[in-house]
Amino acid sequence: MKALEVKQLHQYFEKGTVNENHALKGIDLTLDPGDFVAIIGGNGAGKSTLLNSVAGSIPVTHGQVRIAGKDVTYQGVAKRAKLIARVFQDPKAGTAPRLTVEENLSLALKRGQWRNFWAGGVKRRDRDLFRQKLASLGLGLEDRLTAEIGLLSGGQRQAVTLLMATLQAPELLLLDEHTAALDPQTSATVMALTEQLVAAQHITTLMITHNMQDALRYGNRLIMLDHGQIAVDLKGPEKEGLTVADLMRLFKAQSGAELSDDAVLLS
Amino acid sequence: MDILISSVSQGLLWSVMAIGVYLTFRILDIADMTAEGSFPLGAAITAHALVSGVGPIAATLLGAGGGALAGLVSGILHTKFKIPDLLTGILTMTGLYSVNLFVMGRANVSLLANVKTAFSLVDLGDSTWDTILVGAVVVAIVIVALVYFFNTEMGLAARAVGDNQAMSAANGINNDTMKIIVYMVSNALIALSGSLMAQTNGYADISMGIGTLVIALAAIIIAEILVRNLSFGARLVTIIVGAVIYRLIIAWVLDMGVDPNALRLFYALMLAVFLALPLVQKGLVQWRERRENKARMAKED
Repeated sequence: MKALEVKQLHQYFEKGTVNENHALKGIDLTLDPGDFVAIIGGNGAGKSTLLNSVAGSIPVTHGQVRIAGKDVTYQGVAKRAKLIARVFQDPKAGTAPRLTVEENLSLALKRGQWRNFWAGGVKRRDRDLFRQKLASLGLGLEDRLTAEIGLLSGGQRQAVTLLMATLQAPELLLLDEHTAALDPQTSATVMALTEQLVAAQHITTLMITHNMQDALRYGNRLIMLDHGQIAVDLKGPEKEGLTVADLMRLFKAQSGAELSDDAVLLS
Repeated sequence: MDILISSVSQGLLWSVMAIGVYLTFRILDIADMTAEGSFPLGAAITAHALVSGVGPIAATLLGAGGGALAGLVSGILHTKFKIPDLLTGILTMTGLYSVNLFVMGRANVSLLANVKTAFSLVDLGDSTWDTILVGAVVVAIVIVALVYFFNTEMGLAARAVGDNQAMSAANGINNDTMKIIVYMVSNALIALSGSLMAQTNGYADISMGIGTLVIALAAIIIAEILVRNLSFGARLVTIIVGAVIYRLIIAWVLDMGVDPNALRLFYALMLAVFLALPLVQKGLVQWRERRENKARMAKED
Protein backbone atom coordinates (compact mmCIF):
# COMPACT_ATOMS: atom_id res chain seq x y z
CA MET A 1 0.00 0.00 0.00
CA LYS A 2 1.20 3.48 -0.84
CA ALA A 3 1.50 6.10 1.89
CA LEU A 4 0.33 8.86 -0.43
CA GLU A 5 -1.11 8.80 -3.92
CA VAL A 6 -1.85 12.02 -5.75
CA LYS A 7 -3.47 11.44 -9.16
CA GLN A 8 -3.97 13.99 -11.91
CA LEU A 9 -4.25 16.84 -9.44
CA HIS A 10 -5.13 20.21 -10.92
CA GLN A 11 -5.74 23.40 -8.99
CA TYR A 12 -7.10 26.59 -10.47
CA PHE A 13 -7.42 29.91 -8.69
CA GLU A 14 -9.95 32.52 -9.84
CA LYS A 15 -11.19 30.01 -12.38
CA GLY A 16 -13.12 31.53 -15.27
CA THR A 17 -11.82 35.06 -14.72
CA VAL A 18 -9.07 36.97 -16.50
CA ASN A 19 -6.89 36.34 -13.45
CA GLU A 20 -7.20 32.58 -13.78
CA ASN A 21 -4.12 30.85 -12.43
CA HIS A 22 -3.58 27.22 -13.25
CA ALA A 23 -1.45 26.53 -10.17
CA LEU A 24 -1.11 22.75 -10.41
CA LYS A 25 -1.13 21.06 -13.81
CA GLY A 26 -1.86 17.39 -13.37
CA ILE A 27 0.44 16.32 -10.55
CA ASP A 28 1.00 12.57 -10.23
CA LEU A 29 2.92 11.66 -7.11
CA THR A 30 3.23 8.44 -5.17
CA LEU A 31 5.05 8.01 -1.88
CA ASP A 32 6.10 4.68 -0.38
CA PRO A 33 5.78 4.19 3.36
CA GLY A 34 8.80 5.74 5.09
CA ASP A 35 9.68 8.05 2.20
CA PHE A 36 11.07 11.42 3.28
CA VAL A 37 10.54 13.77 0.34
CA ALA A 38 11.92 17.29 0.07
CA ILE A 39 10.06 19.59 -2.31
CA ILE A 40 11.74 22.65 -3.76
CA GLY A 41 10.75 25.18 -6.37
CA GLY A 42 10.58 28.91 -7.01
CA ASN A 43 7.82 31.32 -6.16
CA GLY A 44 4.54 30.24 -7.70
CA ALA A 45 5.88 26.80 -8.59
CA GLY A 46 2.98 25.23 -6.69
CA LYS A 47 4.73 23.86 -3.59
CA SER A 48 2.31 25.29 -1.06
CA THR A 49 -0.71 24.59 -3.26
CA LEU A 50 0.33 20.95 -3.47
CA LEU A 51 0.86 20.69 0.28
CA ASN A 52 -2.43 22.44 1.04
CA SER A 53 -4.27 20.16 -1.37
CA VAL A 54 -2.86 17.12 0.43
CA ALA A 55 -3.64 18.63 3.85
CA GLY A 56 -7.20 19.50 2.85
CA SER A 57 -6.97 23.25 3.41
CA ILE A 58 -7.60 23.81 -0.32
CA PRO A 59 -10.52 21.73 -1.63
CA VAL A 60 -9.68 19.33 -4.44
CA THR A 61 -12.04 19.37 -7.41
CA HIS A 62 -9.79 17.96 -10.12
CA GLY A 63 -7.94 14.76 -9.37
CA GLN A 64 -7.64 12.45 -6.42
CA VAL A 65 -5.74 12.24 -3.12
CA ARG A 66 -5.36 8.95 -1.26
CA ILE A 67 -3.54 8.55 2.02
CA ALA A 68 -2.61 5.09 3.29
CA GLY A 69 -5.08 3.66 0.80
CA LYS A 70 -7.99 5.83 1.91
CA ASP A 71 -9.59 8.27 -0.49
CA VAL A 72 -9.56 11.65 1.28
CA THR A 73 -10.20 13.80 -1.80
CA TYR A 74 -13.39 15.31 -0.43
CA GLN A 75 -12.43 15.47 3.26
CA GLY A 76 -11.59 18.68 5.11
CA VAL A 77 -8.57 19.38 7.30
CA ALA A 78 -10.12 18.13 10.54
CA LYS A 79 -11.21 14.81 8.97
CA ARG A 80 -7.80 14.20 7.41
CA ALA A 81 -6.11 14.87 10.77
CA LYS A 82 -6.63 11.18 11.57
CA LEU A 83 -3.98 10.44 8.95
CA ILE A 84 -1.98 13.67 8.68
CA ALA A 85 0.10 15.76 11.07
CA ARG A 86 1.34 19.16 9.99
CA VAL A 87 3.97 21.68 11.02
CA PHE A 88 3.55 25.19 9.65
CA GLN A 89 6.08 27.80 8.61
CA ASP A 90 4.97 30.24 11.30
CA PRO A 91 6.19 28.86 14.66
CA LYS A 92 3.08 30.38 16.25
CA ALA A 93 0.72 28.50 13.94
CA GLY A 94 1.19 25.02 15.34
CA THR A 95 0.30 25.66 18.97
CA ALA A 96 -2.51 27.34 20.94
CA PRO A 97 -0.74 30.24 22.73
CA ARG A 98 -2.96 30.60 25.80
CA LEU A 99 -2.90 26.88 26.51
CA THR A 100 -0.08 25.35 28.52
CA VAL A 101 2.63 23.11 27.10
CA GLU A 102 0.95 20.00 28.52
CA GLU A 103 -2.48 21.07 27.28
CA ASN A 104 -1.11 21.51 23.77
CA LEU A 105 0.60 18.12 23.91
CA SER A 106 -2.60 16.50 25.23
CA LEU A 107 -4.57 17.96 22.33
CA ALA A 108 -2.05 16.54 19.87
CA LEU A 109 -2.08 13.14 21.57
CA LYS A 110 -5.77 12.84 20.62
CA ARG A 111 -5.28 14.10 17.08
CA GLY A 112 -8.14 12.89 14.92
CA GLN A 113 -9.89 11.02 17.75
CA TRP A 114 -13.22 11.64 19.49
CA ARG A 115 -12.91 13.97 22.49
CA ASN A 116 -15.40 13.47 25.31
CA PHE A 117 -16.61 15.94 27.91
CA TRP A 118 -16.02 13.94 31.06
CA ALA A 119 -12.40 12.75 30.98
CA GLY A 120 -9.77 15.29 31.95
CA GLY A 121 -8.05 16.94 29.01
CA VAL A 122 -4.60 16.49 30.55
CA LYS A 123 -4.17 13.03 32.02
CA ARG A 124 -1.80 12.38 34.86
CA ARG A 125 -0.52 9.20 33.23
CA ASP A 126 0.52 11.16 30.12
CA ARG A 127 2.69 13.63 32.00
CA ASP A 128 5.63 11.20 32.29
CA LEU A 129 5.51 10.63 28.55
CA PHE A 130 5.43 14.41 27.92
CA ARG A 131 8.31 15.04 30.30
CA GLN A 132 10.41 12.31 28.73
CA LYS A 133 9.68 13.49 25.17
CA LEU A 134 10.35 17.13 26.07
CA ALA A 135 13.61 16.17 27.77
CA SER A 136 14.74 14.56 24.50
CA LEU A 137 14.52 17.98 22.84
CA GLY A 138 17.28 19.20 25.15
CA LEU A 139 15.64 22.60 25.57
CA GLY A 140 14.84 22.30 29.26
CA LEU A 141 11.11 22.29 28.54
CA GLU A 142 10.46 19.20 30.67
CA ASP A 143 10.15 21.50 33.69
CA ARG A 144 7.73 23.86 31.99
CA LEU A 145 4.72 21.63 31.41
CA THR A 146 2.35 24.17 32.94
CA ALA A 147 3.80 27.26 31.24
CA GLU A 148 1.62 28.97 28.65
CA ILE A 149 3.11 27.98 25.32
CA GLY A 150 2.84 31.56 24.03
CA LEU A 151 5.67 32.45 26.42
CA LEU A 152 8.12 30.16 24.62
CA SER A 153 10.46 31.35 21.87
CA GLY A 154 9.74 30.62 18.20
CA GLY A 155 12.35 27.85 18.07
CA GLN A 156 11.02 26.22 21.22
CA ARG A 157 7.47 26.39 19.92
CA GLN A 158 8.46 24.86 16.60
CA ALA A 159 10.30 22.04 18.39
CA VAL A 160 7.19 21.37 20.52
CA THR A 161 5.01 21.48 17.39
CA LEU A 162 7.21 18.81 15.81
CA LEU A 163 6.90 16.75 18.95
CA MET A 164 3.12 17.19 18.87
CA ALA A 165 3.00 16.10 15.24
CA THR A 166 4.87 12.87 15.98
CA LEU A 167 3.47 12.12 19.46
CA GLN A 168 0.97 9.84 17.78
CA ALA A 169 2.72 8.70 14.58
CA PRO A 170 0.76 9.98 11.53
CA GLU A 171 0.48 8.15 8.21
CA LEU A 172 1.85 11.31 6.63
CA LEU A 173 3.77 14.25 8.06
CA LEU A 174 3.58 17.59 6.24
CA LEU A 175 6.33 20.11 6.89
CA ASP A 176 5.57 23.50 5.38
CA GLU A 177 8.90 25.39 5.27
CA HIS A 178 8.93 24.73 8.98
CA THR A 179 12.42 26.13 9.59
CA ALA A 180 12.11 29.20 7.32
CA ALA A 181 11.14 31.62 10.09
CA LEU A 182 13.92 30.53 12.47
CA ASP A 183 17.47 31.84 12.81
CA PRO A 184 20.16 29.64 11.18
CA GLN A 185 21.28 28.06 14.45
CA THR A 186 17.75 27.16 15.60
CA SER A 187 16.83 26.13 12.08
CA ALA A 188 19.67 23.58 12.08
CA THR A 189 18.59 22.26 15.49
CA VAL A 190 14.98 21.85 14.37
CA MET A 191 16.07 20.12 11.14
CA ALA A 192 18.21 17.66 13.10
CA LEU A 193 15.29 17.03 15.43
CA THR A 194 13.01 16.49 12.44
CA GLU A 195 15.30 13.84 11.00
CA GLN A 196 15.56 12.13 14.37
CA LEU A 197 11.79 12.05 15.02
CA VAL A 198 10.95 10.99 11.47
CA ALA A 199 13.56 8.23 11.45
CA ALA A 200 12.57 6.89 14.87
CA GLN A 201 9.05 6.03 13.69
CA HIS A 202 9.68 5.73 9.92
CA ILE A 203 7.12 8.45 9.24
CA THR A 204 6.32 9.20 5.61
CA THR A 205 7.17 12.89 5.24
CA LEU A 206 6.56 15.59 2.69
CA MET A 207 8.73 18.64 3.37
CA ILE A 208 8.66 21.93 1.52
CA THR A 209 11.88 23.83 1.89
CA HIS A 210 13.52 26.77 0.21
CA ASN A 211 16.87 25.71 1.50
CA MET A 212 18.57 23.65 -1.23
CA GLN A 213 21.23 22.38 1.15
CA ASP A 214 18.55 20.96 3.43
CA ALA A 215 16.73 19.48 0.47
CA LEU A 216 19.90 17.68 -0.62
CA ARG A 217 20.96 16.66 2.84
CA TYR A 218 17.70 15.33 4.26
CA GLY A 219 15.36 12.70 2.98
CA ASN A 220 15.60 9.93 0.40
CA ARG A 221 13.83 11.74 -2.40
CA LEU A 222 13.87 15.20 -3.92
CA ILE A 223 11.19 16.79 -6.05
CA MET A 224 11.46 20.11 -7.83
CA LEU A 225 8.29 21.79 -8.93
CA ASP A 226 8.11 24.30 -11.75
CA HIS A 227 5.00 26.05 -13.03
CA GLY A 228 2.70 23.55 -11.38
CA GLN A 229 4.48 20.48 -12.68
CA ILE A 230 7.08 18.09 -11.33
CA ALA A 231 10.30 19.10 -13.13
CA VAL A 232 12.78 16.90 -11.29
CA ASP A 233 12.17 13.76 -9.23
CA LEU A 234 15.24 12.04 -7.79
CA LYS A 235 15.11 8.93 -5.60
CA GLY A 236 17.60 7.08 -3.40
CA PRO A 237 20.90 6.56 -5.23
CA GLU A 238 20.14 9.29 -7.83
CA LYS A 239 19.96 11.78 -5.01
CA GLU A 240 23.13 10.68 -3.21
CA GLY A 241 26.10 12.98 -3.63
CA LEU A 242 24.13 15.56 -5.56
CA THR A 243 25.27 19.19 -5.28
CA VAL A 244 23.41 22.47 -5.68
CA ALA A 245 25.19 22.96 -9.02
CA ASP A 246 24.00 19.54 -10.26
CA LEU A 247 20.49 20.47 -9.25
CA MET A 248 20.56 23.70 -11.23
CA ARG A 249 21.85 21.83 -14.30
CA LEU A 250 19.13 19.23 -13.98
CA PHE A 251 16.49 21.88 -13.69
CA LYS A 252 17.71 23.61 -16.84
CA ALA A 253 17.74 20.36 -18.77
CA GLN A 254 14.23 19.46 -17.63
CA SER A 255 12.42 22.74 -17.92
CA GLY A 256 14.53 24.43 -20.56
CA ALA A 257 14.79 27.52 -18.43
CA GLU A 258 17.63 28.98 -16.45
CA LEU A 259 17.18 28.73 -12.72
CA SER A 260 18.90 31.25 -10.57
CA ASP A 261 19.91 29.97 -7.19
CA ASP A 262 18.25 33.06 -5.73
CA ALA A 263 14.91 32.21 -7.28
CA VAL A 264 14.82 29.07 -5.22
CA LEU A 265 16.57 30.31 -2.15
CA LEU A 266 14.51 33.44 -1.83
CA SER A 267 11.15 31.98 -2.69
CA MET B 1 -25.18 48.82 53.96
CA ASP B 2 -28.53 48.17 52.31
CA ILE B 3 -27.07 49.35 49.04
CA LEU B 4 -24.15 46.96 49.41
CA ILE B 5 -26.41 44.00 50.12
CA SER B 6 -28.77 44.73 47.26
CA SER B 7 -25.80 45.30 44.92
CA VAL B 8 -24.38 41.91 45.92
CA SER B 9 -27.71 40.21 45.22
CA GLN B 10 -28.12 41.95 41.86
CA GLY B 11 -24.45 41.44 41.01
CA LEU B 12 -24.68 37.70 41.61
CA LEU B 13 -27.54 37.34 39.15
CA TRP B 14 -25.88 39.58 36.56
CA SER B 15 -22.60 37.69 36.92
CA VAL B 16 -24.30 34.57 35.51
CA MET B 17 -24.95 36.56 32.33
CA ALA B 18 -21.47 38.11 32.36
CA ILE B 19 -19.90 34.65 32.61
CA GLY B 20 -22.00 33.54 29.65
CA VAL B 21 -20.89 36.54 27.62
CA TYR B 22 -17.28 35.91 28.66
CA LEU B 23 -17.34 32.50 26.95
CA THR B 24 -18.03 33.89 23.49
CA PHE B 25 -16.31 37.25 24.02
CA ARG B 26 -12.99 36.03 25.40
CA ILE B 27 -12.73 32.33 24.64
CA LEU B 28 -14.03 32.50 21.06
CA ASP B 29 -13.21 36.18 20.52
CA ILE B 30 -16.73 36.78 19.21
CA ALA B 31 -19.06 39.69 20.05
CA ASP B 32 -22.37 37.86 20.27
CA MET B 33 -25.41 40.15 20.40
CA THR B 34 -27.74 37.16 20.67
CA ALA B 35 -27.42 37.91 24.40
CA GLU B 36 -29.94 40.73 24.31
CA GLY B 37 -32.52 38.32 22.88
CA SER B 38 -31.71 35.24 24.94
CA PHE B 39 -31.80 37.17 28.23
CA PRO B 40 -35.50 38.11 27.88
CA LEU B 41 -36.13 34.69 26.26
CA GLY B 42 -35.06 32.98 29.50
CA ALA B 43 -37.26 35.39 31.45
CA ALA B 44 -40.23 34.87 29.13
CA ILE B 45 -40.09 31.08 29.15
CA THR B 46 -39.67 30.90 32.92
CA ALA B 47 -42.45 33.43 33.59
CA HIS B 48 -44.82 31.63 31.26
CA ALA B 49 -43.95 28.25 32.79
CA LEU B 50 -44.34 29.51 36.37
CA VAL B 51 -47.70 31.10 35.62
CA SER B 52 -48.78 27.83 33.98
CA GLY B 53 -47.97 25.97 37.17
CA VAL B 54 -44.57 24.46 36.35
CA GLY B 55 -42.24 24.05 39.36
CA PRO B 56 -39.58 26.77 39.84
CA ILE B 57 -36.54 24.56 39.17
CA ALA B 58 -38.03 23.07 36.00
CA ALA B 59 -39.20 26.52 34.87
CA THR B 60 -35.70 27.95 35.39
CA LEU B 61 -34.08 25.08 33.50
CA LEU B 62 -36.58 25.49 30.66
CA GLY B 63 -35.57 29.14 30.41
CA ALA B 64 -31.89 28.19 30.20
CA GLY B 65 -32.73 25.53 27.61
CA GLY B 66 -34.41 28.16 25.47
CA GLY B 67 -31.20 30.18 25.59
CA ALA B 68 -29.23 27.14 24.42
CA LEU B 69 -31.53 26.87 21.40
CA ALA B 70 -31.02 30.56 20.60
CA GLY B 71 -27.26 29.90 20.82
CA LEU B 72 -27.66 26.95 18.48
CA VAL B 73 -29.34 29.17 15.88
CA SER B 74 -26.64 31.85 16.10
CA GLY B 75 -23.90 29.22 16.13
CA ILE B 76 -25.18 27.58 12.96
CA LEU B 77 -25.69 30.92 11.18
CA HIS B 78 -22.17 31.99 12.06
CA THR B 79 -20.25 28.77 11.39
CA LYS B 80 -22.19 26.96 8.67
CA PHE B 81 -23.25 30.02 6.69
CA LYS B 82 -20.21 32.16 7.52
CA ILE B 83 -22.32 35.17 8.50
CA PRO B 84 -20.12 37.61 10.47
CA ASP B 85 -20.58 37.24 14.25
CA LEU B 86 -22.04 40.71 14.81
CA LEU B 87 -24.65 40.27 12.07
CA THR B 88 -25.50 36.78 13.32
CA GLY B 89 -26.25 38.18 16.76
CA ILE B 90 -28.37 40.99 15.38
CA LEU B 91 -30.38 38.54 13.25
CA THR B 92 -31.12 36.16 16.10
CA MET B 93 -31.79 38.97 18.55
CA THR B 94 -34.29 40.59 16.19
CA GLY B 95 -36.04 37.31 15.55
CA LEU B 96 -36.16 36.55 19.26
CA TYR B 97 -38.14 39.74 19.93
CA SER B 98 -41.13 38.16 18.17
CA VAL B 99 -40.45 34.78 19.73
CA ASN B 100 -40.42 36.36 23.19
CA LEU B 101 -43.72 38.14 22.53
CA PHE B 102 -45.15 34.89 21.31
CA VAL B 103 -43.97 33.02 24.42
CA MET B 104 -45.35 35.62 26.81
CA GLY B 105 -48.49 36.34 24.80
CA ARG B 106 -48.12 40.02 25.70
CA ALA B 107 -45.35 42.51 26.44
CA ASN B 108 -45.27 41.89 30.17
CA VAL B 109 -46.00 38.91 32.40
CA SER B 110 -46.02 39.54 36.14
CA LEU B 111 -45.53 36.85 38.71
CA LEU B 112 -48.06 37.28 41.46
CA ALA B 113 -46.92 36.93 45.06
CA ASN B 114 -48.44 33.47 45.35
CA VAL B 115 -46.36 32.11 42.41
CA LYS B 116 -43.50 30.01 43.73
CA THR B 117 -40.11 31.06 42.27
CA ALA B 118 -36.58 29.72 42.57
CA PHE B 119 -36.09 32.21 45.38
CA SER B 120 -39.01 30.95 47.42
CA LEU B 121 -37.24 27.58 47.69
CA VAL B 122 -35.29 29.08 50.60
CA ASP B 123 -36.58 31.26 53.36
CA LEU B 124 -34.12 33.40 55.28
CA GLY B 125 -36.85 35.81 56.31
CA ASP B 126 -35.66 38.52 53.93
CA SER B 127 -36.09 38.42 50.16
CA THR B 128 -32.74 40.08 49.44
CA TRP B 129 -30.92 37.42 51.43
CA ASP B 130 -32.95 34.73 49.67
CA THR B 131 -31.73 36.17 46.37
CA ILE B 132 -28.14 36.20 47.59
CA LEU B 133 -28.29 32.59 48.78
CA VAL B 134 -29.92 31.21 45.63
CA GLY B 135 -27.78 33.42 43.40
CA ALA B 136 -24.59 32.27 45.16
CA VAL B 137 -25.54 28.61 44.83
CA VAL B 138 -26.34 29.01 41.13
CA VAL B 139 -23.11 30.93 40.40
CA ALA B 140 -21.08 28.37 42.33
CA ILE B 141 -22.58 25.49 40.35
CA VAL B 142 -22.05 27.37 37.07
CA ILE B 143 -18.40 28.12 37.81
CA VAL B 144 -17.55 24.62 39.01
CA ALA B 145 -19.27 23.10 35.98
CA LEU B 146 -17.52 25.44 33.53
CA VAL B 147 -14.08 24.95 35.07
CA TYR B 148 -14.65 21.21 34.90
CA PHE B 149 -15.88 21.31 31.30
CA PHE B 150 -13.10 23.54 29.98
CA ASN B 151 -10.52 21.15 31.39
CA THR B 152 -11.97 18.04 29.76
CA GLU B 153 -10.82 16.73 26.39
CA MET B 154 -13.65 18.56 24.65
CA GLY B 155 -13.18 21.71 26.76
CA LEU B 156 -9.49 21.90 25.83
CA ALA B 157 -10.50 21.54 22.21
CA ALA B 158 -12.97 24.42 22.56
CA ARG B 159 -10.28 26.65 24.05
CA ALA B 160 -7.86 25.69 21.27
CA VAL B 161 -10.46 26.76 18.69
CA GLY B 162 -10.61 30.21 20.28
CA ASP B 163 -6.82 30.40 20.35
CA ASN B 164 -5.71 29.07 16.99
CA GLN B 165 -8.13 27.62 14.45
CA ALA B 166 -5.48 26.37 12.04
CA MET B 167 -3.92 24.40 14.87
CA SER B 168 -7.18 22.97 16.16
CA ALA B 169 -8.26 21.85 12.70
CA ALA B 170 -4.87 20.28 12.06
CA ASN B 171 -5.39 18.27 15.24
CA GLY B 172 -8.74 17.00 14.04
CA ILE B 173 -10.96 19.36 16.00
CA ASN B 174 -14.17 20.36 14.24
CA ASN B 175 -14.02 24.14 14.71
CA ASP B 176 -17.67 24.67 13.75
CA THR B 177 -19.02 22.13 16.22
CA MET B 178 -16.91 23.51 19.06
CA LYS B 179 -18.04 27.07 18.35
CA ILE B 180 -21.69 25.99 18.27
CA ILE B 181 -21.27 24.25 21.63
CA VAL B 182 -19.76 27.38 23.20
CA TYR B 183 -22.52 29.52 21.64
CA MET B 184 -25.11 27.23 23.23
CA VAL B 185 -23.52 27.14 26.70
CA SER B 186 -23.04 30.91 26.61
CA ASN B 187 -26.64 31.69 25.69
CA ALA B 188 -28.00 29.10 28.12
CA LEU B 189 -26.24 30.98 30.93
CA ILE B 190 -27.48 34.35 29.65
CA ALA B 191 -31.05 33.02 29.55
CA LEU B 192 -30.56 31.54 33.02
CA SER B 193 -29.60 35.00 34.25
CA GLY B 194 -32.72 36.47 32.59
CA SER B 195 -34.85 33.75 34.14
CA LEU B 196 -33.53 34.48 37.64
CA MET B 197 -33.89 38.21 37.08
CA ALA B 198 -37.55 37.80 36.14
CA GLN B 199 -38.14 35.70 39.23
CA THR B 200 -36.51 38.15 41.61
CA ASN B 201 -38.15 41.19 40.00
CA GLY B 202 -41.53 39.48 39.82
CA TYR B 203 -42.09 40.03 36.13
CA ALA B 204 -40.77 39.34 32.64
CA ASP B 205 -40.77 42.21 30.17
CA ILE B 206 -40.22 42.26 26.42
CA SER B 207 -37.69 45.11 26.68
CA MET B 208 -35.66 43.78 29.60
CA GLY B 209 -32.84 42.66 27.30
CA ILE B 210 -31.98 46.13 26.06
CA GLY B 211 -28.59 47.27 27.34
CA THR B 212 -27.85 44.00 29.13
CA LEU B 213 -24.85 43.22 26.95
CA VAL B 214 -23.20 46.45 28.05
CA ILE B 215 -23.79 45.55 31.71
CA ALA B 216 -22.24 42.11 31.21
CA LEU B 217 -19.26 43.47 29.28
CA ALA B 218 -18.69 46.11 31.97
CA ALA B 219 -18.53 43.39 34.63
CA ILE B 220 -15.96 41.52 32.55
CA ILE B 221 -13.84 44.58 31.85
CA ILE B 222 -13.90 45.68 35.51
CA ALA B 223 -12.75 42.18 36.47
CA GLU B 224 -9.93 42.35 33.94
CA ILE B 225 -8.84 45.80 35.08
CA LEU B 226 -8.85 44.68 38.74
CA VAL B 227 -6.63 41.66 38.17
CA ARG B 228 -4.80 40.86 34.96
CA ASN B 229 -3.79 37.43 33.66
CA LEU B 230 -5.75 34.95 35.70
CA SER B 231 -6.52 31.29 35.23
CA PHE B 232 -9.97 30.55 33.83
CA GLY B 233 -11.63 29.66 37.15
CA ALA B 234 -10.18 32.62 39.02
CA ARG B 235 -11.26 34.90 36.19
CA LEU B 236 -14.86 33.71 36.51
CA VAL B 237 -14.80 34.47 40.25
CA THR B 238 -13.48 37.98 39.60
CA ILE B 239 -16.34 38.53 37.13
CA ILE B 240 -18.75 38.18 40.09
CA VAL B 241 -16.77 40.91 41.84
CA GLY B 242 -16.88 42.99 38.66
CA ALA B 243 -20.66 42.61 38.42
CA VAL B 244 -21.13 43.61 42.08
CA ILE B 245 -18.88 46.67 41.69
CA TYR B 246 -20.84 47.67 38.62
CA ARG B 247 -24.14 47.46 40.55
CA LEU B 248 -22.57 49.54 43.32
CA ILE B 249 -21.57 52.23 40.83
CA ILE B 250 -25.09 52.25 39.38
CA ALA B 251 -26.64 52.42 42.87
CA TRP B 252 -24.34 55.29 43.76
CA VAL B 253 -25.20 57.14 40.54
CA LEU B 254 -28.94 56.76 41.18
CA ASP B 255 -28.37 57.87 44.75
CA MET B 256 -26.70 61.02 43.39
CA GLY B 257 -30.03 61.86 41.80
CA VAL B 258 -29.25 61.04 38.17
CA ASP B 259 -32.42 60.77 36.07
CA PRO B 260 -33.16 57.01 35.59
CA ASN B 261 -34.00 57.84 31.97
CA ALA B 262 -30.34 58.77 31.48
CA LEU B 263 -29.15 55.47 32.90
CA ARG B 264 -28.49 53.66 29.61
CA LEU B 265 -26.45 56.61 28.34
CA PHE B 266 -24.49 56.32 31.54
CA TYR B 267 -24.05 52.52 31.06
CA ALA B 268 -22.63 53.11 27.60
CA LEU B 269 -20.35 55.97 28.67
CA MET B 270 -19.00 54.00 31.58
CA LEU B 271 -18.21 50.94 29.46
CA ALA B 272 -16.48 53.19 26.91
CA VAL B 273 -14.35 54.61 29.74
CA PHE B 274 -13.51 51.15 31.07
CA LEU B 275 -12.53 49.93 27.61
CA ALA B 276 -10.34 52.98 27.01
CA LEU B 277 -8.73 52.86 30.44
CA PRO B 278 -5.89 50.42 29.74
CA LEU B 279 -4.78 52.48 26.73
CA VAL B 280 -4.99 55.75 28.63
CA GLN B 281 -2.96 54.19 31.41
CA LYS B 282 -0.31 53.07 28.93
CA GLY B 283 -0.25 56.54 27.37
CA LEU B 284 0.29 58.16 30.76
CA VAL B 285 3.21 55.85 31.55
CA GLN B 286 4.77 56.58 28.19
CA TRP B 287 4.24 60.32 28.62
CA ARG B 288 6.00 60.22 32.01
CA GLU B 289 8.88 58.12 30.69
CA ARG B 290 9.35 60.51 27.79
CA ARG B 291 9.42 63.52 30.11
CA GLU B 292 12.04 61.81 32.29
CA ASN B 293 14.03 60.89 29.24
CA LYS B 294 13.94 64.46 27.95
CA ALA B 295 15.23 65.70 31.31
CA ARG B 296 18.01 63.10 31.21
CA MET B 297 19.01 64.00 27.68
CA ALA B 298 18.95 67.71 28.51
CA LYS B 299 21.40 67.04 31.32
CA GLU B 300 23.70 65.15 28.91
CA ASP B 301 23.89 68.22 26.70
